[in-house]
Amino acid sequence: MPLDAGKTDTLVSVRGLSMHFPIYAGVFRRQVGVIKAVDEVSFDIARGETLGVVGESGCGKSTTGRATIRLYKPTAGSVVIDGKDIALLEGGELRRLRPQMQMIFQDPQASLNPRMTVGSIIAEPLDEHRPDLKRAERQDRVRDLLDRVGMNPDFANRYPHEFSGGQRQRIGIARALALEPKFIVCDEPIAALDVSIQAQVVNLLEDLQDQLGLTYMFISHDLSMVRHIADRVAVMYLGRIVELAHRDILYEAPKHPYTKALLSAVPTVEKRAQERIILKGDVPSPANPPSGCVFRTRCPVAEARCAAEIPALRKLSDGRQAACHFAE
Amino acid sequence: MTNKRRFLAAASALAMLAGPAVAERGADGELKIIYWQAPSTMNPFLSGGTKEVEAASMVIEPLARYSNTGDIVPALAAEIPTVENGGVSEDLKSITWKLKTDVMWSDGTPFTAEDAIFTWKYCTDPNGGCAQTTYFEGVSAMEAIDAHTLKISFTEPKPFPYTALVGSESPIIQAKQFADCMGAKAPECTEQNFNPIGTGPFKVVEFRANDVITLEANPHYRDPAKPAFAKVTFKGGGDAESAARSVLQTGEFDYAWNLQISPEVLTEMESAGKGKVVVAFATSVERIHVNFTNPDSALGPDDRSVFKADGSNPHPILSDIRVRKALSKAIDPVVLTEIGYGKTGKPTCNVLPGPDIYASTANEACKTQNLDEAKALLDEAGWVPGSDGVRVKDGRRLSFLYQTSTNAVRQEFQAIIKEWWSQIGVETELRNISASVFFGGDPNSPDTFQKFYADLEMYTNNFSGVDPEAYMANWLCDKAPTPATQWQGENINRYCNPEYDALAAEFAKTAGLEARAEIAKKMNDILMQDYVMFPLVHRGGTSAHANSLEGVLINDWDSELWNIADWRRAK
Amino acid sequence: MLRYAIRRLLISIPTLLAISFIVFALLDLAPSDPTANLPLTIPPEVREKIRLSLGLGEPFPIRYLKWLQQFLINEPLAVFEQLTGLSIGDSENRLRVLSWATRSPVTDLIVERMPQTLWVVGMSYVVAVLIAVPIGVISAYRQYSIFDQVGTLISMLGFSIPTFFTGLLLIVIFSVWLGWLPSIYDTTHVVNDWESFLFQVRQMIMPTMVLALANASQISRFMRASMLDNLNQDYVRTARAKGVRERTVVLLHVLRNSLIPVVTVIALGVPTIFGGAIVTEQIFRVNGIGALLITGIESNDIPLVQTLTFIFAILIVLFNLIADLLYGVLDPRIRYE
Ligand SMILES: Nc1ncnc2c1ncn2[C@@H]1O[C@H](COP(=O)(O)OP(=O)(O)OP(=O)(O)O)[C@@H](O)[C@H]1O
Ligand SMILES: [Mg+2]
Repeated sequence: MPLDAGKTDTLVSVRGLSMHFPIYAGVFRRQVGVIKAVDEVSFDIARGETLGVVGESGCGKSTTGRATIRLYKPTAGSVVIDGKDIALLEGGELRRLRPQMQMIFQDPQASLNPRMTVGSIIAEPLDEHRPDLKRAERQDRVRDLLDRVGMNPDFANRYPHEFSGGQRQRIGIARALALEPKFIVCDEPIAALDVSIQAQVVNLLEDLQDQLGLTYMFISHDLSMVRHIADRVAVMYLGRIVELAHRDILYEAPKHPYTKALLSAVPTVEKRAQERIILKGDVPSPANPPSGCVFRTRCPVAEARCAAEIPALRKLSDGRQAACHFAE
Repeated sequence: MTNKRRFLAAASALAMLAGPAVAERGADGELKIIYWQAPSTMNPFLSGGTKEVEAASMVIEPLARYSNTGDIVPALAAEIPTVENGGVSEDLKSITWKLKTDVMWSDGTPFTAEDAIFTWKYCTDPNGGCAQTTYFEGVSAMEAIDAHTLKISFTEPKPFPYTALVGSESPIIQAKQFADCMGAKAPECTEQNFNPIGTGPFKVVEFRANDVITLEANPHYRDPAKPAFAKVTFKGGGDAESAARSVLQTGEFDYAWNLQISPEVLTEMESAGKGKVVVAFATSVERIHVNFTNPDSALGPDDRSVFKADGSNPHPILSDIRVRKALSKAIDPVVLTEIGYGKTGKPTCNVLPGPDIYASTANEACKTQNLDEAKALLDEAGWVPGSDGVRVKDGRRLSFLYQTSTNAVRQEFQAIIKEWWSQIGVETELRNISASVFFGGDPNSPDTFQKFYADLEMYTNNFSGVDPEAYMANWLCDKAPTPATQWQGENINRYCNPEYDALAAEFAKTAGLEARAEIAKKMNDILMQDYVMFPLVHRGGTSAHANSLEGVLINDWDSELWNIADWRRAK
Repeated sequence: MLRYAIRRLLISIPTLLAISFIVFALLDLAPSDPTANLPLTIPPEVREKIRLSLGLGEPFPIRYLKWLQQFLINEPLAVFEQLTGLSIGDSENRLRVLSWATRSPVTDLIVERMPQTLWVVGMSYVVAVLIAVPIGVISAYRQYSIFDQVGTLISMLGFSIPTFFTGLLLIVIFSVWLGWLPSIYDTTHVVNDWESFLFQVRQMIMPTMVLALANASQISRFMRASMLDNLNQDYVRTARAKGVRERTVVLLHVLRNSLIPVVTVIALGVPTIFGGAIVTEQIFRVNGIGALLITGIESNDIPLVQTLTFIFAILIVLFNLIADLLYGVLDPRIRYE
């Protein structure tokens, strides 16, 4: 099954996306280099689809997510959402497009302004983008949103700190939904939650996706959760996508040595016997990534070629994409 | 010149200074004075500080005051009583002052002898804490012969009877105003202490303690043409340098007092051309005192630096006059003055440098340094140079501890003098002590100037007024500070010379200025020729005034504002 | 909240009593002599009489209790009477805390000096806050920009150059060379028309600016640090994601949250306004509370120094409480029960 080309209805299309952060040092805080948090990343997400993004801490997942909805201004590349390239948009033009893309954050506490009531947090985007709504209508909408995420609508006058972690994440979701977005980046939305609540929130996200036809980019450490929720999965390493495949074939038979190592760490019922692959060494610094294949310093199958040549993310026979010279 | 003629001369000189009588009261607008140490009260009886005394002198006046030449001139008195004019009794036991008859207090009531009597009672009340009681010492009674004649009687003959109610430190306050402020009540009378009613050229409009005093011309002042200024702003606070700047550089103020800053800085500021620096010399002398007792730290508290009448505790080295003289000969007061004081000081060889009639001319040799003579004196005294250049005698090194208060100029002097002394083979250990401790008078502190736990010490002393009798009595044998007197006593040197004591007794009995001057000079010469101390610098009071201010006669004998009634704006 | 405030106030009473004892004892026991600054020509017997007349003859505990009574009861009553013109009880014979040097009630001196201190030091604080907050905000928002670097440099200078230097520099430039501004503050000046208002402004400029520079550099650093803390928070990203205008993001979301600790710092600094600015007041002769304190210390005016020190202690305790309460008002996460 051709995965991206096949589904003609692509909502998000990212090409060559790079996000480099400057490094300042010295007395005068001069820029002395860059951190290549995201480097030349390309992917598509179809309407109604969920793209899972996995990888070690610091590999650039959040940065990719933020750059995709233009919370960062990308260093290079294009981000087309619903037919419009937003990579270079600024100011009012960009703001007008905000309603269609939203984000849910890992730490529900930090993502809610502590000095605003829940009601005003949810209503603020409405004030900004829906001047047509009357006050009462707006309030109705807030209550409706709270209700939709399973919260008591009377809580609108309370402050975020008065809620539990799970409730806060629901508020975060309600807030994200306020403007009826098409695309939501969920950046580890359940990582900070209790295991028992994780399932509830994930179910809520799935229900909302069904009801509202949402498209998700779901960033997570939790490989089993991604397997559960995502249609396709992108594996990132040091700012690059190393493998991008339908979740079934990815989990069944990873092709990139890094994916193999990553998945070997997940205990599953079927593959308990399989040996766990321990990677040698540490993740190199994104400020000074290795030449050629960024994974070569830790790769069990690396050869001289890997240091010289950057492996392209190429399509394999089963339709998946992998960035390894040796993947077949 | 007889007493009388001196006074007359002074009076006529004053009359001339008063200038053309074309002036009109208040015609010259505002006068702005800055005293960087701000007055804390307008009642000099409750403070004793110079700044308070001077501020008050614009408002309240004594019977007579001292002019810029150190002469006594009448203020509220019509004339100066003398034996010749019958004002002072033959037996020297009373003085009768004739008061001016036309003087009004600033509230419009007449000034009488009763006010003077009240002032005496006010200051001598044992519960009042009056700071100026010394002025009334020996006064047994005051009576009003009539409304404008005051008779002051003394317990003993008083050859110099011009103390009580003479000078700005002993002015007359209004009986009516202070009637309820006697004794223990005195400090609580804030309103009166801040706004005394006076007879002087100005009256207080507003007094802000330690900040600013606003005054206006006294509408009842006895001379209808004076003062020329309608208003005085008397500002305080800050430091001497910026006070000088406000007169000499920015021209914001007309008069700045007590500018003890480095001579170069003053000259530099003066070059801005807005004002000039004026210096007045009275009796302040920076000097080095010699300790005549043994300050050896090995001695117990009852012996160390303690004077014994039987002469049993002499200084082991300094009791030899040849050593004292050698130390003196090695000092060059001219150089020191130049370095430390510039034009605000004069080298001097007397501990009693003024008024002019008291100033001896017998000791001028001290101004020329003579290291060879100094060395010869030490040789003669048996001190021979040791291997390291320091002289020794009987196994003892010629070495001294030389202390003073902490102060840049003093430390510079110490260093220079140490160098000079080292050239004649004298070793000197220097020490400086915080002024608050050194002059603090705490009997438990080992570091006060009275305890004198050193061989030599340097500071400035002076006396107020113009009569040196009490001051010269400082060096009497029985005035040495001892543990028995809680280390109180003015004979800091612990000097004891029966000849000197006898002269002092004679001084206390002698009347007549000329005769008194003769004795005072003799006493000064004894102290100098016995090398009891080494005078270095005759220090002046330095002030500055705007070029546009006329009539200033800087005066270090009395308040600098003594003749403020005559100050005027240049036309 | 009210109950919390009352409880805190009650707790502070024993604290303040303890402070009052320490202040009184420390200053009283320190070797100091009220007559030490009198000319050497005043003889020791007279000095002793002066000391006795100042009440130094009585034993320490009696003096402490007397002072406490005068400070806590007589002085407030006296001030109240002066303000209202009423007289309560035997106001004629009520003993007040008298300053040794001026023999005037200490509170009168303080009241007399309040206006210039509040004008100059208070205004400098206001100016400092007004310039520090925007500078802090911009420096943080444009971290490492030229503006930020210059701001950092200036606040480092403002922080490290002592006010006596900046003060003198300003005087030399604006009073001596240019002659534009008075170098000496006129505390008797009354503002009653436009002219006199302009004069007041002119005489306030230099002392106010000298102090404002020193204060602003501190506050702007706090502001910047606090802004930086908040700018990287997720809720700021949330706000941006909402499509809120950048101005609103910075001013409404970030600034309001960053101000919480800064407001506390500012509130804690308020007692220093009443403490005056010793050095600056000296330089420009503003002769406010700071100058009062220093003359008190120099002239060994123990009652004055004791009273001022204790008032500062009270103000510090009070503004600590106010800062805490403000925190509660500004930050909904904090609730006092
Ligand atoms: N604002 C920034 N400035 C500088 N460097 C940044 C910034 N944000 C992220 N980085 C760096 O970019 C790299 C990728 O960070 P990112 O937060 O995207 O990783 P992540 O995969 O989301 O990690 P985690 O799983 O821990 O959330 C990291 O090395 C991080 O230090
Ligand atoms: Mg992340």
